[in-house]
Amino acid sequence: MIDLLSYGAFFLTMALTYAVICLGLNLQWGQAGLFNVGVAGFVAVGAYVSAILTTPPVDGRIGGFGLPPLAGWLGGGLGAGLLCFLLGALTLRLRADYLAIATFGAAVVIQLALLNLEGLTGGPFGIGFIPRPFGGLAGEPGLFAAANLGVLILLVLACYLVLQHLTRSPWGRVLRALREDEEAARALGKDPVAYRLQAFAIGGFVMGLGGAAQAHFIGFIAPDNYLPTLTFQVWTMLIIGGSGNMRGAILGAVLVWALWAVSGSAVSALFPSGQQARAASLQLVLIGVALSAVLLLRPRGLLGEAGTLRSPLRRADRRDTAKISQGQKTNA
Amino acid sequence: MSADILRVSALAAGYQPDLPILNGVDLTVRDGEFVVLLGPNGAGKSTLVKCIAGLVPVHSGAIRLCGEEIAAVPAHMKLRRGLAFVPQTENIFARMTIRENLQLAAQILPKARRAGRIAAMYDTFPDLAAAPGRRAGALSGGQRQMLAVARALIVEPRLLILDEPSAGLSPLMVAEVFERLRAINGAGVTILLVEQNVRAGLEIASRGVILVEGRVAHDAPSGDLAGDPVVAELYLGGKAEAPA
Amino acid sequence: MMLQPLMDGLVNGAIIGLGAIGVTLTYSILRFANFAHGELLSWGAYLALTVSAALGALLPGLGTPIGPFSFGWSVPIALLASMALTAGLALAVDWLLFGRLRQSGAAQIILVMASFGAALALRNLLEFIYTSSPAYFTNELQIAMKILPGLRATPDQLLVLGLALVTVVLTHLLLTRSPAGRAMRAVSENPALASLAGIDTRAVIRLVWILGAALAAVGGILSGVIVQIRPTMGLDLLLPLFAAAILGGIGSVPGAMIAGLTVGLAESFAVGLVGAEWRAAVSFVILVAVLILRPQGIFGKAMA
Repeated sequence: MIDLLSYGAFFLTMALTYAVICLGLNLQWGQAGLFNVGVAGFVAVGAYVSAILTTPPVDGRIGGFGLPPLAGWLGGGLGAGLLCFLLGALTLRLRADYLAIATFGAAVVIQLALLNLEGLTGGPFGIGFIPRPFGGLAGEPGLFAAANLGVLILLVLACYLVLQHLTRSPWGRVLRALREDEEAARALGKDPVAYRLQAFAIGGFVMGLGGAAQAHFIGFIAPDNYLPTLTFQVWTMLIIGGSGNMRGAILGAVLVWALWAVSGSAVSALFPSGQQARAASLQLVLIGVALSAVLLLRPRGLLGEAGTLRSPLRRADRRDTAKISQGQKTNA
Repeated sequence: MSADILRVSALAAGYQPDLPILNGVDLTVRDGEFVVLLGPNGAGKSTLVKCIAGLVPVHSGAIRLCGEEIAAVPAHMKLRRGLAFVPQTENIFARMTIRENLQLAAQILPKARRAGRIAAMYDTFPDLAAAPGRRAGALSGGQRQMLAVARALIVEPRLLILDEPSAGLSPLMVAEVFERLRAINGAGVTILLVEQNVRAGLEIASRGVILVEGRVAHDAPSGDLAGDPVVAELYLGGKAEAPA
Repeated sequence: MMLQPLMDGLVNGAIIGLGAIGVTLTYSILRFANFAHGELLSWGAYLALTVSAALGALLPGLGTPIGPFSFGWSVPIALLASMALTAGLALAVDWLLFGRLRQSGAAQIILVMASFGAALALRNLLEFIYTSSPAYFTNELQIAMKILPGLRATPDQLLVLGLALVTVVLTHLLLTRSPAGRAMRAVSENPALASLAGIDTRAVIRLVWILGAALAAVGGILSGVIVQIRPTMGLDLLLPLFAAAILGGIGSVPGAMIAGLTVGLAESFAVGLVGAEWRAAVSFVILVAVLILRPQGIFGKAMA
């Protein structure tokens, strides 16, 4: 019973770290319509910055400042946010999918850096001994698990409330207006690039925060945790939950993480050890198909926000018809 | 009694299903006619011709070209049925040369006729023949309109529809474009022209149709419309001209 | 000494260029960055591998190396078959996914996202079918010949260069001189006007997929002949493909090839300077530099 409870707590804590990442992505995509293909990279930056700031000093590795976890989390968020800001500044004035290409490239380079900058990142072996919040409780597994879960619940709640407040503020309304009808918003004197850049950077901060929290919860990180598969997972969570909707993002994270865990253990139970790698690739095929199918069949996700994901074509038509009805008024 | 080239009946159309811009338009264009489509801004003139060309979805009603229903025919098949449309803006391929624009337009013709039709366009529009290798984007406003008209005429359409070819041109250029249109009509091509300037439109066309709020408000020979005191009051900005 | 990276870079760059042509065509005509394009290279290579293995099993004579090359006639036959099969695969994905999204009027970025999902599914399907261990068209070893002092190349490498060059010239002629090419450029510039000019945009879109996928198959197969075949080869090439397509200017076929060669050469020389482990970062550096200095690319028109 205790085992089951502590497994439940472990599972939920892990799912909630994804929920934080997912909330960050939701600000970028759901609210601002910015497509980030490098989620794994930004999560990795958050995790590694926090790990370097908080781990005890190690010979032969830069970092190990032994700072408290909270400072690490803040640093991780800032690191990822700054990187998002730079990439956004580089591409947001250009075509919409240049941002996607640039974030994809950034994730590739971050992965390379994790592997090759051994003096900073520990190379392929990663960084261990990342201090866990409430490490002092490690002797009592039940209490320890509950405390960790509590921290993550607080973090998710804080992110949720802040982001919800942001999206309901005038700032959030402008952001959505830009996504729906850039020209109209521009006509009101709003600079789309500035708003999008802010949203992208804040989203990156939240993503980094999620990565940092995850690192401290697991206690050990390595480049293999941050492969493109992670990006796919987070995207699936957001799309399934419904982009644009903060609660959907959290629900999607928990749901997809559960599906992932269940199908993962099914794979290891059903397939002989030699075939498990193949079976795992089938699992990813299904994720890819599911992602495409949701886009096709239920583009607003399970808990979607009404009126999202309109096509630019229809937007243009609306402008056209708006012009025409305006003309009628003046001429009537 | 000449045959109907175009017959639009009870046409309702718009970009969105719940927002019709045309509310039951009836319009007939007979063989050899030169009809001008007039009306205030936002009356639906552009929408009507775009709809006939297949760029705006039809909600209900019929569009017949030479007796055949074409409302459901995709835009790219309409040219093959003899309907050519020249949009108001972006009506040439600016990144291609003049020659390529014409070659592209001639592509739906049988191979044997292509070269002859392109040569015929160079004869009709000597400006284009001067430098066929020039990028179309580098042409002046008037030359662009000539190229756009040539692109449409190359396939010898039965009906030529033009959406405000005079927009943005100097008065001198407008006069020249209109002169060309008159000659094209004289050569037997039926024309439906959208025009903002009521006086100029009625001067060149044989019949005028005035569209108001998505419906046909007036449909009469140009002379009658120009002399109609109501029309004059509403659309000509003042007193009627002396009846012709 | 300085010449050897030149050869390696050109060979690699030619393969990147072949892939980048497909990316640039899809981007300019279907108007989205196709993240699944790399998978067309992988699928092209694996389909050819399968056909060539089947041919070799049926007619062992086809496996005997042709002249100085490492492979037998089964490979060129498989290349043609794979071009057709990969084109079929691209058309199937378009029919299943992209075409439906276009019909529903989905935003461009939704297509990018769908391509991302399709890439994941296609890549892992390969891994499921063929496992992740590398495969080879042939086990023959080739001795590099001395061409110039300090420059050695295998016959295979020279063939790749020659074949890539011929393919690019043919594609360029097709686009600039043929009615089909004119129609493609017309749709790329203004789809609505193209349909008014009597062009069936759906047919043009099919043509883009066929052309892009066939060239991707050639690129993937050549990469397989020179290096090896892996399910992740397309993913690894994706960043160089995008970098080359943007550097060359979206929509420009010669631009994509010249930029592909540039990326290949830059990778090859950078490896000599900073080590092979940083190879994948070279494309990113080029991408960032282009976006800062000349976002429309070398041969691109300035964007409004």
